[in-house]
Amino acid sequence: MADAMAPPARQMGAIAWLRKHFFNTWYDAIFSIIFAVLIFWGLQALIGWAFVNAIWRVENKNQCTHDAGACWAVIESRGRLILFGLYPYEEQWRSTLACFAVIITIALSCLPRFWSIRRLPLLWVVGFGAFVLLMRGGFAGLPLVTSEKWGGLSLTIFIFSGVFVIGMPLAVVFALARRSSLPVIAKSTGFFIDIVRSLPLLTILFAAAVIVPLLVPEWLQGSKLMRVVVAFAVFFAAYQAEIIRAGLQSTPDGQAEAASALGMPYWSLVVDILLPQAFRNTLPSTINQAVITFKETSIVTIIGFFEVMASGNAAIGTGEWGNQYIEVYVFLALIYFVFVFGLSRYGAWLEKRMRLGHA
Amino acid sequence: MKSILTTLAVAGTMALGSVTAVQAKGQGLLDTIIERDSLLCTGHNGSYLGFAEVDGEGKWQGFDIEFCKALATAILGSPDKLQIIPVSWAQRFPSIQSGDIDVIIKVTGWTMTRDTELGLQYSRPYFIGPFYVMSKTELGAKGIADLEGGVFCVNAGTTVERVLTDYMETNGIAYESLAFEKGEELRAAFYAGRCDAIAGFGPFLSATRVNADNPDDFEILGDVLALEPEGIVTRQGEDDFMDVINWMVSALLMAEENGITQANVDEMKANPPSASIERLLGVTPGVGTRLGLQDDWAYNVIKTVGNYGEIYDRTIGDGSRYKLPRGMNNLWNNGGLHYPLVLD
Repeated sequence: MADAMAPPARQMGAIAWLRKHFFNTWYDAIFSIIFAVLIFWGLQALIGWAFVNAIWRVENKNQCTHDAGACWAVIESRGRLILFGLYPYEEQWRSTLACFAVIITIALSCLPRFWSIRRLPLLWVVGFGAFVLLMRGGFAGLPLVTSEKWGGLSLTIFIFSGVFVIGMPLAVVFALARRSSLPVIAKSTGFFIDIVRSLPLLTILFAAAVIVPLLVPEWLQGSKLMRVVVAFAVFFAAYQAEIIRAGLQSTPDGQAEAASALGMPYWSLVVDILLPQAFRNTLPSTINQAVITFKETSIVTIIGFFEVMASGNAAIGTGEWGNQYIEVYVFLALIYFVFVFGLSRYGAWLEKRMRLGHA
Repeated sequence: MKSILTTLAVAGTMALGSVTAVQAKGQGLLDTIIERDSLLCTGHNGSYLGFAEVDGEGKWQGFDIEFCKALATAILGSPDKLQIIPVSWAQRFPSIQSGDIDVIIKVTGWTMTRDTELGLQYSRPYFIGPFYVMSKTELGAKGIADLEGGVFCVNAGTTVERVLTDYMETNGIAYESLAFEKGEELRAAFYAGRCDAIAGFGPFLSATRVNADNPDDFEILGDVLALEPEGIVTRQGEDDFMDVINWMVSALLMAEENGITQANVDEMKANPPSASIERLLGVTPGVGTRLGLQDDWAYNVIKTVGNYGEIYDRTIGDGSRYKLPRGMNNLWNNGGLHYPLVLD
């Protein structure tokens, strides 16, 4: 008869968990302790700078020194400049409303309920229309504010969503054209995409803003902001088209062949069979591209647009607040973080939802 | 990246400068501005310390902005008829060719390439941009030569680096150079005592000094490393407009020379002390029409922005945070380089 084995050591509880994950061997223990100390030290320094030693309000700007902690008074004093740029002070409530209009539009179009050929465009026409009408004014007693004066966060969001909304359909068209069976269309689209991708975004935007008015007749020019959004959208589309093409190629040929055999028209094949799978398969790259585009909007500062980053630079570009650049950059980083993190989480949620549908 | 943009800008401007010049021949820029009833002047894509800044309410202010206001007032009678268009450094020359802006007032140095190849026309300098050296007060240096063997900090790859090297080589002063990529890093290093001195454009040094915990720890030395004459720029061939710009600058200087200020201009207009002031303030009729303006154009300008000295003082001089010394930007009779033209 075999001896009864001793029961296994207790595997539950915080101490056992800690021992298993952080102190399993002697070198695990050493690394754990070193990193714990580093993290503690870093957090302490950060909290000390950002909260404990921070100055929240000042009577006089000279009270802001740069050794103890953050001087958040700069945000109080210059925050509206960062958020609204050059938009007229008395009218900034319009910019706030417009900003919310687009954010709500973005949020709604993330809901699957709105994903239909009819609802989505309608939603965007309404949302965008509200944004432009509010920002521009010039009716019902609202003073006219031309797009040269738009700025800050509203401008960043406007450019981002404009690029996405124009660029995404364009990307689908490019991707389909590049896979077309007509060689002229396929080759020339491929050539165009490769050219656009070989040029720096900065150069494309600069040319759209500055060189185009020299070449194109006035009635075709549109506003500078419009030209820039369209140029940016073409750039976005060139990249996104390749992502979508990868998705299209990942669907087995048999599906398209089966659809043709059943006599499905081309349009139905694309909309009902190929694109949904292409989008689902390339969702991580698409979200990636969206995040990159959001961050790249700050490039428009080179052609004189006061998007949120340029406004931040304007906020510290004065003798009074020149030393509070860290605080302003932290504030800007938080703004970007909120949007980009939201975008990533949305992507993750979408992926999970699609997996469920898939299974 | 910057060079790509510059090349693109230059190529575009050169190729098309002639085209726009021909198009514009029908009507002068001055007439266009009067017809439009607004002047399109340069701002900045951010802030340029003391010259073009944005206040907490999104309004432009600064030395260059005051000149934009002065020009708008001279031509259109009111500073409210000014539109500031934010442009980046690389964007300013193509923008003037395409007509996005009427005039560049943006600390723009008068160089031969810009004047000739880019199809631009410069006004007489309205500001002499000096490069100075700032050192720690405790070192007790009176001039740059006293800092021999010291550590000089500069922004990497900028004009300043070249200017400093030139000056030191010419004057045979040995020194150690330490370059930083960003202005903020440079400042932090200087405050921390890493450098004995820093070299840079006057307004930048002033701002650095003013923002130190104790500004009196630092001192801008009187020696000038180099200077850059800054002009007001418009398209080649806009002679009428350029006349107005030159006489606007001259009027501001003449007002200072004759002690006409924002405060006493009404009094001066009521009892002009001399014939030339009578002409300046439009008491003698017909002077403004020579420029295609109202007779009281200079009166309006001085009433709105003050004389040259007042503008300087308010934006970058002693009345501002920067406390940049007048130096070469003083009038000729105060040891500076500025002088009014003869108003006959």
